[in-house]
Amino acid sequence: MRTLEEIQIGDNIGPEPLFLEKDRVRAYCNAAGLAGVPRFTDDELARKEGLPGMITPGNMSAALIGKLVTDWARPANARLIRLGTTYRSPVLPEHHLSLQGFVTQVDHGERTAELDIWIENEDGDRLVTATATVKFPPKA
Amino acid sequence: MALDFDPAIIGKIFEETDPVAVSAQEIRDFCAAVGENNPWYTDEDAARKGPYGELTAPPLFVLTFRNGRQFFQNIPRFGKGGFDAGRDVEFLKPVRAGDQITLVSHVKEIYEKTGRSGAMYFVTVRSTVKNQNNEVVAHIDHRFMGRL
Repeated sequence: MRTLEEIQIGDNIGPEPLFLEKDRVRAYCNAAGLAGVPRFTDDELARKEGLPGMITPGNMSAALIGKLVTDWARPANARLIRLGTTYRSPVLPEHHLSLQGFVTQVDHGERTAELDIWIENEDGDRLVTATATVKFPPKA
Repeated sequence: MALDFDPAIIGKIFEETDPVAVSAQEIRDFCAAVGENNPWYTDEDAARKGPYGELTAPPLFVLTFRNGRQFFQNIPRFGKGGFDAGRDVEFLKPVRAGDQITLVSHVKEIYEKTGRSGAMYFVTVRSTVKNQNNEVVAHIDHRFMGRL
């Protein structure tokens, strides 16, 4: 993928396997000022809140989705200009997840592409869904 | 059940946070946790040829800035608890190491919807993220929902 002209509706993005170790979730919490939130860092305390164990912060899921989009956009020097996420079910660490999506719209006038992206678990459940807008540089 | 809230809260600014300085180390820690290996965020030469023309933080770094204490105190609560339903982020300017970031937040909308499982409420809080040049870096809409 090098230019907007080469992109078509239905083009796949990913899938990429995603396995989040608990320490990586804790590292995100440390980097994002969430280290003091027990449901993101401690299984026992998360269970006391009625959760199955520690969960991944929604903002970390958004960051992982953002990375998938910007990695896809990079060869075209395109920028992520909008991302909307919907948290449907908790994203649990130490599960075999995948990150994937596809192109839903291409606007040659605005030079943008719209994407649908999601995080899926082993059972095919979509835990986080997102839409993104990517802006491409002017035609060379 | 109608939602009971003071309509004056819509649009009311909670507070403007004190500026927070962004360090290169914080950006590196964020990249490491997310698994970012895009040279736009780590390599000056690659960044110069990238879409921003300089080293920046990854776009989703904007979600690491914290609202002030009054943020959660001012979000109206209804029914039985509630949860974080999602975010809508518009990225207008990149964040760079050395930037001084402030957040200003207000309630954007409150509404009720009835679905198959009963009545639900929705609250959207908008945070406007600005840098030291008073440029808007991003708009972040935080969506909360719960059962009535």
